[in-house]
Amino acid sequence: MNVIETHDLGRRYGATWALQECSLTIPAGHLTALVGPNGAGKTTLINLVIGLSTPSAGELTVLGDLRPGSLPALDGIGFVAQDVPLYRGFSVADMVSLTRNLNRTFDVDYAHERLADLNINLRRRAGQLSGGQRAQLALTLALARHPRLLVLDEPTASLDPLARHDFMATVMAAMADDGVSVVLSSHLLSELERVADHLVLLSDGRIRLDGPVDDLLAEHRLVTTRSGPVSTHPAWDVVESIAAGAQTQQLVRLRSPEVALPAGCDARPVGIEELAMAYLRSSTRGVGPVLEGAHR
Amino acid sequence: MTTLASVPASAATIRPVPRRQLAWVAWRRNRATVYGLGALLAALGTYLLVTGLQVHAAYDDLGSCVPPITTDACRVRWDAFINGYGQRGLTGPLLVLLPGIVGAVVGAPLVGRELESGVFRYSWTQGVGRMRWAVAVILPIAVLTAAMMGALGLLVAWRNGPLLEAGAAQRLDGSTFPTTGVAVIGWTLLALSAGVLAGLLWRRVVPAVASTFAAWFGLALLASVRRPHLMTPLTSMGEPPTGSLDIANYWTKNGAPVSASEVSSVLETVGVQMREDGFSAHVGGGSPAPTDPIIYLSEHGYIQVHSYQPDSRYWTFQWIELSWLVLASLVLLGLTFWLIRRRSI
Repeated sequence: MNVIETHDLGRRYGATWALQECSLTIPAGHLTALVGPNGAGKTTLINLVIGLSTPSAGELTVLGDLRPGSLPALDGIGFVAQDVPLYRGFSVADMVSLTRNLNRTFDVDYAHERLADLNINLRRRAGQLSGGQRAQLALTLALARHPRLLVLDEPTASLDPLARHDFMATVMAAMADDGVSVVLSSHLLSELERVADHLVLLSDGRIRLDGPVDDLLAEHRLVTTRSGPVSTHPAWDVVESIAAGAQTQQLVRLRSPEVALPAGCDARPVGIEELAMAYLRSSTRGVGPVLEGAHR
Repeated sequence: MTTLASVPASAATIRPVPRRQLAWVAWRRNRATVYGLGALLAALGTYLLVTGLQVHAAYDDLGSCVPPITTDACRVRWDAFINGYGQRGLTGPLLVLLPGIVGAVVGAPLVGRELESGVFRYSWTQGVGRMRWAVAVILPIAVLTAAMMGALGLLVAWRNGPLLEAGAAQRLDGSTFPTTGVAVIGWTLLALSAGVLAGLLWRRVVPAVASTFAAWFGLALLASVRRPHLMTPLTSMGEPPTGSLDIANYWTKNGAPVSASEVSSVLETVGVQMREDGFSAHVGGGSPAPTDPIIYLSEHGYIQVHSYQPDSRYWTFQWIELSWLVLASLVLLGLTFWLIRRRSI
């Protein structure tokens, strides 16, 4: 089953396309990182997936063949929005009861157990909790519904590193225990490097890169040559070229993993952050073979 | 067959969230509003109860000293009663505006605050779905608010009882009519429905409350001007029956209307001047004794004709008012639900 499937999906605000020509397939069982700079269209895509927003173009189904926003889709998707909006005047216990009553299924025991583990007092008002506790409360409420897909929109953006780590640990535990699929947006790739196994890279409302992280790593190399940029080569497509002194570093996408690399060039594997940064930088300069200093 | 079988069972057979759960949501979400409204209406109700008891006691004390008044002693006591209780000070206008204030303040935050604070991203993504959430959050508090205002209207009507009986106030009067009976329920519902819609459109509570109240006030003003003409007024020779809403009066002679200036010139010959409020003042000290202008005119073949709405039409007017107010409220609520369903951020 694919938790998210889109074809030429687009969302327009007035004359501006916040997201366009987005075709994606995200299979179940993965932690998908939705990465891109602010304003790239991450939240737009998430709002479409959870049914808060409707597409201006293209198609989108979730959890197999469900229409986003339909009751079965809402039922199967847990969502934690950016800045974690909660009823600030409600106590933690009230938020638990409210979420229980707003859903067909809700695991009260799980919620109470988790909150006890987190030392979150049920009588505290949601508005008085620290940022980390609020995020954990919202995550607990979403997970206690035992969703098939958990969608998190920049959940850790305002958290300190420790709270961020605890938050991600909860997400990873839920994936292991419940088999929930996770889609997580962030403009910080470094924190996702170890946990995400599927990557969707967005900038300016378009998908720049998408696929399983292992596959992406396998098909990209950082090639260093002394003889200047090799912009066309049967073995690869150049993503980005950087001149560094006498050397030229090129991030290339291999046309096939087994392709033979030319003699005399030094090719090494890339990290996911390195890869993403290269794609983001090149996307701001236009597509195709990229030359250093090309028009912006 | 295979296509049908491939549809997940959950999609076809999903059970909606039970009503019992929605009732909890409705109560928890709006209980602060209910407490606040309850406190406000309890305070107002207590005031009405206390003053109402005073009015009733004072009216009972009058005994037979009610119109038509025959003795000077009675006249003094009657005037004291009217001076004491006939005027309602600020309570009158407050009661007229209350449905608009309450409706706007209760209605506007229901969806408006949700959008203003961003909490809709939580509440509209729960398994219940935004439509059932909206029904739970809007409808019970709307019914409860209307019912509480209706109860207050009963108290207002009871308090006004002696004044109506004595002919010192009219149920059809614009200061009483929309605060009593079923009209007060209609006016509350209208303000509340408009408030919910305004909150949804503004996405902010304060401008939504303000614009709702302004629109409501304009409509209430228009309704109070149009109300006396909802049905063809009755006419009477001489004073209309007690409790009637007097719309207009004019003099006739031999069955034909007489202009005010003609009446005025007739009266001036006996030293009485017409004033705008219909009363007459004695002018020119030359005349031997003040003449009652009404009696004088009657004796000279002039007949005063009143057009009025009789008190017996009160409930007819009330149901007419409730009908169109409820209809308008339902249209506004229907539009609100439609917009909530369609809303895309």
